[in-house]
Amino acid sequence: MIEYLNSYGSLIVTMVLGAVLGLSLYLPLMAGQLSLASPGFYALGGYVAAILSTRTFATDGTYPVPLVLLEMLVAAVLSGALAVVVGLSALRLSGIYLALATIAFVEILRVLSLNLEITGKAIGIFQIPQPFGTKLSYLWLAGPLLLAAGLFTWRLERVRTGRAFAAIREDELAAAAMGIDTTRSKVRAFVIGGVLAGLAGVVAAHLTNTWNARQGTFDASIIYLSFVLIGGSRTFLGPIAGGMALTYLPEWLRERADSALLPEWAGQFLRDGRLIIYGVLLALSCVFFPRGFITPELLERIKRLAFRRRRPPSAQPKPESAA
Amino acid sequence: MGDFLQKLLNGLAIGSVYAIFALGYTLVFSILRVINFAHAAIFTVGAYLTYALTGARFGFNGILKNSALPFELPFWLALLGGALGAGLLGIVVEQVAFRPLRKRGSDPLLTLVSSLGVAIAVVNIVQYLFGAENYSYQDPLGGLPGKVDIGPAGIRTVQVVIFVVSMVIVVALTLLINRTRIGKGLRAVAEDADTARLLGIDTDRLVRLSFFISGVLGGLAGTLIAMSVGIAGPSFGIAFGLKGLAVIVLGGLGDIPGAVVGGLVIGVAEAFVPDSLVSYREAVAFVVLLVMLLVRPQGLLGRAQVQKV
Repeated sequence: MIEYLNSYGSLIVTMVLGAVLGLSLYLPLMAGQLSLASPGFYALGGYVAAILSTRTFATDGTYPVPLVLLEMLVAAVLSGALAVVVGLSALRLSGIYLALATIAFVEILRVLSLNLEITGKAIGIFQIPQPFGTKLSYLWLAGPLLLAAGLFTWRLERVRTGRAFAAIREDELAAAAMGIDTTRSKVRAFVIGGVLAGLAGVVAAHLTNTWNARQGTFDASIIYLSFVLIGGSRTFLGPIAGGMALTYLPEWLRERADSALLPEWAGQFLRDGRLIIYGVLLALSCVFFPRGFITPELLERIKRLAFRRRRPPSAQPKPESAA
Repeated sequence: MGDFLQKLLNGLAIGSVYAIFALGYTLVFSILRVINFAHAAIFTVGAYLTYALTGARFGFNGILKNSALPFELPFWLALLGGALGAGLLGIVVEQVAFRPLRKRGSDPLLTLVSSLGVAIAVVNIVQYLFGAENYSYQDPLGGLPGKVDIGPAGIRTVQVVIFVVSMVIVVALTLLINRTRIGKGLRAVAEDADTARLLGIDTDRLVRLSFFISGVLGGLAGTLIAMSVGIAGPSFGIAFGLKGLAVIVLGGLGDIPGAVVGGLVIGVAEAFVPDSLVSYREAVAFVVLLVMLLVRPQGLLGRAQVQKV
């Protein structure tokens, strides 16, 4: 079992990080803002980790975990600060305009990282030290990160700030009329999302050992967006499930390709054409599951099923009148 | 002076292709109010189709390794064929990624993702079939000399051809939109789709048509760029697709003259990036995009929209 998990260690940790990235896009979306900026912050976090661990804190042997935590702190502060600056200017825009502005932001960061000395130009940064002996051990970083992010978002959906987000999502003008500071709320959602992506970047940089400009691209923005929209964009469980499932999907297809049951051409198609299938599934699930796979209604139904089993029907509480 | 003129002409040539590419985006946007992210994939397909139609041989990476079509078309016919094929692909994209969602009145964000899904699929089908290597056309200009002198500036003949072809397309499209019945229908649907339908305009047909024209424009742009710099693998449309977004924002989303002006402005701006900063050239379009969005989101020629309650 442990051996099995170890051979899939990298994949498992990547899935967990995928869930975190899904959440980082979900947060601005909670307030109705389509931001594709996450890969930019993710890349930034990765570069912070790569630069600090190869230059500033260079050590021999195993890299100490507390230093990784320190890197995460630095990355969070930097991503947050950048997100405030970008957010305050870009969030005057909405809908497709905001999405375009964040695409431009990601591309500008990418061109910068291709050209700056400190980010290793086109080659990137190599030999980022490893804090753990096995890839699976990275769960000690990624797991708590996802747990904290998930709990945070779960709570957020139930407190004043999160409700303000939901109000803006439904109708920004009405929300403003009810006294919600819409700009502040939107910037908040954007900043939290940016910080999450930055933190995920730190873990990913150590996990992958190298970091370069290919990490923050337009493609990545879309992949993260698909985590949210296919997983479900109305509950925080949606992006978590979507991030994990869609990160696993290409790997799953690769495994099927290697199974002996398939004729050779089909195996070759699954190996080389995985992204074709990915693209088709993406388009199809938009058409057939426009609200994502995990919706609040689905969760409600599951909850009710579990509830009924525990109590006899007579003990069910009366439905609440007057919502 | 010669240097200045040369840069200007090169900028105008590349800018004119940006313009027709962006016209494809903006035509669909003006009608459906969504951005077709599969446009960049259509651009790629147009360039590859033209390559195939000239009867050239494919490399050894894809599943069609070393094969070629049994006939060879002259380049200008191949270019037209590539553009038509791209136009048909545009219709397919509309049927698969847009129509089902539009009929249901779904969130426009979903259309964005579904069109991207189609784009990912198309780009990877191209890679699966033809492999990831670079291709370039065999002598697309026939016997023409490689360079022409315009005043003190020498400029590649390819650039001149690109500019002329693009400008012909722009004029033709302008006439189509402004002078024909079809163009009137398109403008009516863009103004208000529901009213247009009530007045007896077959909106579905016009939407299909706009995707066809948009695909033709995208495919042509792909071939024209590939004439100049070659086909750099299946994803060479992606960077171009993103720049096209900058062009339409500069011109104002859905604004047809704006897209032309925006394309030329960005092409020229890129050409004038000094040599010492040439590696930052790729960022020019995005800086323009960001600044425009912050300063004048309605575009160079657009009017500000009043938010209605």
